[in-house]
Amino acid sequence: MQDRIQFSATINRKKIGPVDVPKDLMMIEFLQEYAGMNGTRLGCGQGVCRACTIIVDEPGKGSITVPACVTGVTWLNGKTIRTVEGIASVDDKGVVHPSPVQKAFLEHYSFQCGYCTPGFVNSATVLMEKLEKNPVPADDVEKAIEQQLEPHVCRCTGYVRYYSAVRDVILKTPGLTTGKRTKEVANNG
Amino acid sequence: MAKANGKSKWIKGLGAVAVVGVAVAAGLYLAGSSSGDIPPASVDFAKLGPQEYDVLYKRGEQVFRAGDCAACHSSPQTGAELAGGVPMVTPMGTLYGTNISPSKEHGIGNWSADDLYRAVATGIAPGRKVLYPAMPYASYHQITRGDSDALWAWLMKQRPVEVANKPGEMQFPFNIRPAVALWNVVNRPAAKEFDYTVNELARGRYLVDTLGHCAECHSPRTKVTFAMDTSRYLEGNTIEGSYAPALTPGALGERGWTRDDLVKFFRTGLSPQGVMTFRMASVLDHSTSHMPEADLRAMAAYLTQNQDMPGLQPKAPQTQVNVKGENLYVGLCAGCHGVQGEGQPHSSVPMSTNTTAMFPTPINLIRVIREGVEERDLAHGERMQTMPGFADKLGDEEMADLVNYMRQTWGGQPGNVTASDVAGHVRTIEHSK
Ligand code: FES
Ligand code: FES
Repeated sequence: MQDRIQFSATINRKKIGPVDVPKDLMMIEFLQEYAGMNGTRLGCGQGVCRACTIIVDEPGKGSITVPACVTGVTWLNGKTIRTVEGIASVDDKGVVHPSPVQKAFLEHYSFQCGYCTPGFVNSATVLMEKLEKNPVPADDVEKAIEQQLEPHVCRCTGYVRYYSAVRDVILKTPGLTTGKRTKEVANNG
Repeated sequence: MAKANGKSKWIKGLGAVAVVGVAVAAGLYLAGSSSGDIPPASVDFAKLGPQEYDVLYKRGEQVFRAGDCAACHSSPQTGAELAGGVPMVTPMGTLYGTNISPSKEHGIGNWSADDLYRAVATGIAPGRKVLYPAMPYASYHQITRGDSDALWAWLMKQRPVEVANKPGEMQFPFNIRPAVALWNVVNRPAAKEFDYTVNELARGRYLVDTLGHCAECHSPRTKVTFAMDTSRYLEGNTIEGSYAPALTPGALGERGWTRDDLVKFFRTGLSPQGVMTFRMASVLDHSTSHMPEADLRAMAAYLTQNQDMPGLQPKAPQTQVNVKGENLYVGLCAGCHGVQGEGQPHSSVPMSTNTTAMFPTPINLIRVIREGVEERDLAHGERMQTMPGFADKLGDEEMADLVNYMRQTWGGQPGNVTASDVAGHVRTIEHSK
């Protein structure tokens, strides 16, 4: 095996590279050690907890999430990627505006220690984008959320507030759901 | 006139042929749906004391486990072990495991110990009902009457499950059940008790061939009647969309198995050669993980024929490997399975000693990569983490590159799998669902 590759990618709308890196480098290490982006968290390092979730945008195919801890640079070479640093927008004056998902997490006090949050933000963002293309009946929102967020582990067990924040933001955003919501839910955060 | 005479002769002749045909068919039906003489019961159940019953009961549970009855006779919905309902997909249609709980309405609550022996060893249920050979009586035919009686004693003391059987969905003409009698005439061995008490090898053979009915999946099947091809005993077979590998001593040695590793594999579902997947996962859950160590040792002794096995001997990698495949491996797989295929203990299997890349067919590799493997508790403390499926990330071309790289690097196999081979295997896999 040749030991090094020239890695380039578009990360958060900026072209990066080519950077000379070891071929067996995992993406999380590239982000933290080479690109200086430490928003992506290393939890299990084994593709199990999803703290390290990043977004890959494939033209034509849409967006998917991958665990950066076990996804190597050889697979991401040349691809378009978003990390948690690229989710909020920054205006001309340099003021940061959290995305609707980020706002919802703040409003619901979803996270406690915040370690798992970048992963939840990215996954929920991809879910919103999926629903823009394929809205679900308003009553099926919980199912869609569960499907998307189920692999994410939160050590502080903030699931209830994460899930209700995502439900809220989806129901409030026009175009993501169809029909009327008939289900009542308790206000649990 | 002469013409008419000729015609009537011809009709008469045809009539005679038809009569003979019907007679032959009836004869074959009678032969194939008969169980012949059966050995007398090993015990007089009416006279059994509670202690003797208890001994029999415990032995019955062991027979139930070693026979792997639950793998087919569990409910996929509730998990109830005797309720039935597990689908078995064959090229002729789908069958469902039946209710074998002592329910009088849906199960076998009205069966005598004779009835059970007949069904298990000859495939004939009460009322001369011929069972489909998906119920492996062609293997169970050597069960001892003592083991069958013990099994009956155990089954009859289980909780009845009041769930109706699901009718099979066999295609014509295989949906004509009496026709199975004809299959029996050709393929069913005569019921004959096997003496497994002679030595460990005999015990192992009984467990492997009779109760474990391993050859049912691990032997190729004949083209015409789909019976086990006894001339290619344990030589490996693709069945239900996956490859059940060859288990001959030569093939096992070639893939690095030792007796101890086989025992480890049977007991925990995991060994350096890999982890139980597909149908073997339920064999672990319902059968081998519950079996006594001595029985597992006997099975391993029989499978290796007590020969000295060379043990783990990773294959020499091909000098030229598929570079695109290598990049895919390092990018998608190495994070868990290691760049050198070294794996992570107790969470993801090593590739360097795994046998899947060594198989003559890449179907299992393709299936595992496409579908992933759910996180599972194996047995006796072993577990495996989730392996995600990559169906959405890999097209046929990329899949071919990846499996070629793995087969070249760890399988001692050439990198000659093409995208259209992959598509063919995917069709086989999908067809089995
Ligand atoms: S750190 Fe990547 S999944 Fe846990
Ligand atoms: S908020 Fe602490 S791990 Fe999720």
